[in-house]
Amino acid sequence: MSIAIPARGRRGRRRRTGPAVRIGGWLVWLFVILDIGLLLWTFTSSLRGNSDIMNHPFGLPGSPKFGNYAKALSDGGFGRAALNSVFTSVASSAVVIAVASPCAYVLARRRTRTSSFLSMMFVLGLGVPLQVLVIPLFIGLSKVNLTDSLYGLILVYVGLAMPFTVYLLTGFFAGVPAVLEEAAVLDGAGPVRTFLSVIVPVARGGITTAFLLQIISAWNETLFALVLLHSQDKITLPVALVNFLSTEQYDGQDWGVLFAGVCIILAPMLALFSWLGSRIIQGMTVGIGK
Amino acid sequence: MTGRTSKTTTRFLGIATAAALALGVTACSSSASSSDGKGGSFTYWSMWSKDEPQAKVLQAAITAFTAKTGITVNVTWAGRNVSKEIGPAVAANKAPDLWDDSAGTVLGTLGSEGQAMDLSSVLAMKIPGENVTVGSVIPTKYLASQPKDSDGTSDYVIPYEVTAEGIFYNAADPAMQAAMPTAPTTWAGFISVCAALKAKGEPCIASEGEDSWTNGLYFDYELLANGVNWSALAADKTGASWDAPGVAAAVNDLEQLVSGGYIVPTYTATKYPAQETNWANGKAGFYMDGSYVTAEVSKEIPSTWKMAMMLPPGVSQADVGTFGFSIPKRAKNASAAEQFIAFFMQKSQLSGISTVADNITPRADIPAPAELASVQQALNAPTLRVDFSNTVPSDYYNKVYNQNFLDFWHGKTTAAQFIAAMKSAQVTYWQTQG
Amino acid sequence: MTAQVTQSPRIGRARGDSLRRARRSEGPLERQHRRTFWPFAAPALLFYLVLFIAPIAFAAYTSFYKWDGLSPMSNRGLNNYRILWRDPVFHTALTNTLKILIVGGVVTFVIALGLTMILREMNRGLFARSVLFFPTLVNAMVFGIAAGFLFSPSGPVDQVLHALGWQTPPQWLSTENIFPMVMGTLIWTSTGFYTAIIMAGVDQIPQYLYEAAELDGCNAWQRFRHVTLPMAWEVISVCAVLWTVSSVNIFQLILVFGGSNSNLPPADSWNTALYVYGEAFPQSSAPELGLATAAAMVALLLVAVITILLRRLMRRERIEY
Repeated sequence: MSIAIPARGRRGRRRRTGPAVRIGGWLVWLFVILDIGLLLWTFTSSLRGNSDIMNHPFGLPGSPKFGNYAKALSDGGFGRAALNSVFTSVASSAVVIAVASPCAYVLARRRTRTSSFLSMMFVLGLGVPLQVLVIPLFIGLSKVNLTDSLYGLILVYVGLAMPFTVYLLTGFFAGVPAVLEEAAVLDGAGPVRTFLSVIVPVARGGITTAFLLQIISAWNETLFALVLLHSQDKITLPVALVNFLSTEQYDGQDWGVLFAGVCIILAPMLALFSWLGSRIIQGMTVGIGK
Repeated sequence: MTGRTSKTTTRFLGIATAAALALGVTACSSSASSSDGKGGSFTYWSMWSKDEPQAKVLQAAITAFTAKTGITVNVTWAGRNVSKEIGPAVAANKAPDLWDDSAGTVLGTLGSEGQAMDLSSVLAMKIPGENVTVGSVIPTKYLASQPKDSDGTSDYVIPYEVTAEGIFYNAADPAMQAAMPTAPTTWAGFISVCAALKAKGEPCIASEGEDSWTNGLYFDYELLANGVNWSALAADKTGASWDAPGVAAAVNDLEQLVSGGYIVPTYTATKYPAQETNWANGKAGFYMDGSYVTAEVSKEIPSTWKMAMMLPPGVSQADVGTFGFSIPKRAKNASAAEQFIAFFMQKSQLSGISTVADNITPRADIPAPAELASVQQALNAPTLRVDFSNTVPSDYYNKVYNQNFLDFWHGKTTAAQFIAAMKSAQVTYWQTQG
Repeated sequence: MTAQVTQSPRIGRARGDSLRRARRSEGPLERQHRRTFWPFAAPALLFYLVLFIAPIAFAAYTSFYKWDGLSPMSNRGLNNYRILWRDPVFHTALTNTLKILIVGGVVTFVIALGLTMILREMNRGLFARSVLFFPTLVNAMVFGIAAGFLFSPSGPVDQVLHALGWQTPPQWLSTENIFPMVMGTLIWTSTGFYTAIIMAGVDQIPQYLYEAAELDGCNAWQRFRHVTLPMAWEVISVCAVLWTVSSVNIFQLILVFGGSNSNLPPADSWNTALYVYGEAFPQSSAPELGLATAAAMVALLLVAVITILLRRLMRRERIEY
C-alpha cells in the first residue's frame, strides 16, 4: 500500500510491504467491512417488515417501517426500559466516581503499608468472577427489600465497579504532579478544597474516562439485571430484550421489531463511541494495558 | 487535554446529572400509584404474556372482578418466565398473592418446598352468582391427577385449563389420508405410516429439536406401551431398571424414528416454534404436544385443515396437564386472591378459555372447542395420568434426562448408548442426593 | 502475586517518589495526606467491603450448605463439591469454561497479534482499529440474536452458501454446534478489543527501534518478532490476565445464542456462569443455592490458579526504554 507513493519519503520507501502483510491488510479490511455491514444490516432490518426480512434478508427497506420502533418502545417495553437503563447507568457511574476518586487519590498519594494493602485488595477484586457475587447479592438485597428496584441495581453496579474504577483512577491521580497540591496546601487550602479545586480539574480527563467506561458497562450489564429485576416498569434494556425474545415465542416472531429493540440498545453506544471513541479506547487501553 | 474537550465533558456531566435527577423522580413515583382501591388489592403474576388470548380472557375477568368487588388486581403478564422468577421472589419475600402455571411447575418450584398454599378452602367457596362450590364444578379426577406436594395435598393448583398430550395432525391432508387410512395400532404400523409419508416427500414428524419435553412424550408413551412406569424407572437408585426389556423395546422404537429419517430434517438446529410453524404450514405430518397447540397454530393453519389427535400406538390413556392458579404461602393478600379464583370459575368467565383461547376448561358444562373434540374424548376417561415432567424430580430432568435424551433424539448416540448413559447418570444422580 | 501483576509502572514510580520524600521529613502536604487518608478512603472501602468482600465470604459459607433460599440452610460439609465432582453437567460447564479460556484465548491473541503486526504496517490503521474495537461496547446478546437469524436453517448464510455451490452446509445451530459458534462469535468480537490494547502498547515503542531493525534488513515478521513482541510483552501478559477473568464471566452470549428461548440453552453449551445461574434460578424447580455457590467458588479458584500460572509463565525482565 505505501509502496505506491515513493514521494512519501524515507519511511514509506523503506517499509517493504510483503505479500503476507498485504493479505493481512485485506483481511483487516474484510473484518472491518463485515463489522460495519452487520451494523448496517441490523439497522436496515429494524425498519423492515417480518416477512420482508424472512424472504429477502439482505434487501433494503422499501418504505421504512418506523412502526417497528413504536411497537418496540411501547409493546416491547423498550421505552420504559431505556429510561431505566439511562437512569441506572448514569446514576451508578456518578456515585462510583464520587466514591472512588477520593479513595484512589489518597491511595495514589500515600505510600504506607496500609495504603498498598488496600490497593492490593482492590486489585484482587478485579479477578473475581461475577457469578460468585450474584447469589449473595441477590440474597442480601432481598433481605433489605431492594430486589426488583433500580436503587438496588445501582447499588450493585457501584459495588461491582469499585475495584476497576479505584485501580484506574489511582493510575490517573499518580500522574498528577504533587507540586500543584503543595502550592495549594501552602496557601492554606483544606484537603477537600485541594482535592476538588486542584486535583480533580487536572485529572478531569481520567475521571471522565472512568465515568464513560462505567456508563458502558452498566448499560450492557445483563446477569445482575436479569436476576434482580422483573417488574415491567423496573427492567433495564438487556432484560427487556431477553423478555421480548421469550414472549415472541408465544406471540409470533417479528424480526423487524426485535431488531428495532436491538438498535435501541446499540444506538447510544454507537453515538457515544463516535463522539468520544478515542477517549474510550484510550481509557480502556491506558487503564488496562498500562 | 484541551479546553474544548473539558468543556464538553462538563456539559455532558451536567446533562447526565440533570437526567439522572429527573429520572430518579419518575422512577420512584410510578410504583405506588392507583393501587389502593377501596376493597383492597392483590398482586397476580401471570404465565401468559399480554398478547396471548388467555391473557385477554383473564384481563376481562380482572376488570369485571374489580368492578364488582372493588378489589384492585396488580397484574404482571410475566409470560413463561414466571416459573423462573417465582422461587427467588418467594425467597425474597416479594411473592405475588396469586400466580399460575402447570401443576408440574408449581410443584417443582414451590410445592416441593412446602411453599404452595393448600387451596382446599377455595374448593369449598361458592362461585359468585352460581349456587355451587368451586369443588363441585372441577371434576376430582383433575385434582387427583396432580402429584402430591410436600404437605401431602394435591390441591395446590386450581386448574382453569386442562390439556391432553398426543400426536396432532391434519386429518384432511390428502397425503395423510393416503398414508394412514386408520390410526395404527402397533409401532410398526406407525413406522409404516411414516415411511409412506416420507415416500410422498413429506417428513413424518415435526419436532423442536431443543425441546426435551415434547420429544420426551414419545419416550414417556412408548415406555407406557411397553409396561414401564417412567417415574418408577427414574426413582431406581441402582439403575438396574434400565436393563428391563421394556425399556430397550421403547428406546429401540424411538430409534427407528431417528435413524429412519422420519423427523423433519432441520430439527436439530431450530428452536421452538420453528417446527411447529413448519408443521402448521403442512411441511410435516405429525406434531407431538399438549392440546394447547391447536390454539397456538390457529392463525397459521388454512381453513381446510381438520385438526385431529391420536395417541401413540399401544397406549390407551392420554397424559394430561392441568394449568391453574396457585397462591404462595407467603402471600400477603391471599383471601382477595382466593375470591378471584372463585370469581374466575364462573361459567361466564371461564368460558373464554374455550371460546377465546380455544382450550379445554375443567368444567364439564363448558363445551370444548370443536377442533379439540378428540382431546375432550381422551379427557373423559374416569382417571387421568399426568406426564413424566410432573412425576420426575425436576433436578433429575436437568441433570440426567435432558442432555442424554436430546443426544439420542438427535442421533448422536445409539439406543444402547442412550440406555447406558441414562443408567450411569441416574446412579450418580441418586448418589449425590441428600 | 496478583498485585504485582497489575501494578502499573506509573503508580510504582510515583509512589517511590513520595516515599523518598516522606523519609526526609513530613511536610504539610504529607501531613494532609495522612490526615485525609481514612476519610477519603473509607466510603469506597465501605462499598467494597459490603458489596464485594462480604458477598464472597457469604458465597464461600453457603457453598457448604444445602439451601433453596426458602427453607432453613442445612450443613452439607463438602458434599456440594463432591456433587460437582461427579456431575457430568458441571464437567461440561467447566470444560467449556476452560475451552473458552484457553482455546478461545489462544486464537484471540494469535489473531490480535497478527492484526497488531498488520495494523502497524498499515497507513490508515486508526479507522480500522476503531471499527474493530466497537463490538466491545455492544451487549453480547446482540450477536447471539443476529447469529440466530443469520445462521438459521435456510437462513441468509445458508442461502449465500447455496449460491456459492455448498448444498449441505452444517447445521450451525444444532445443539452440538452451539458452543463452537459461541466461541467463534466471542473470538470475533473480542479480538478488536485486545488488538486495540496491544496496539496502544505498541504505539509507545520508540520509532528508532523499528528504524534500526529496518536498517538491519528485518522484514515485517522479523520486526514484529524482535521488536514488537518483546517490547509489548508486559501489555500482552496483562491482557492475558484480563482475558482470564472476562472469559469466565461470559454469560448472556450463551444464554440467548440462537435467538430465542425462555428455557436455558442446552447443557452442552453451558459454562460455569450458566451452571450457577441454572442452579440458582432454575426454570421449574427449587433453587440449589449451595451447589450454585460451590460452582462459583470453583470458578473463582480457576481464575486464581490460571492467573498465577500465567504470571509465572509470562514473567520476563522488564525492558526499559
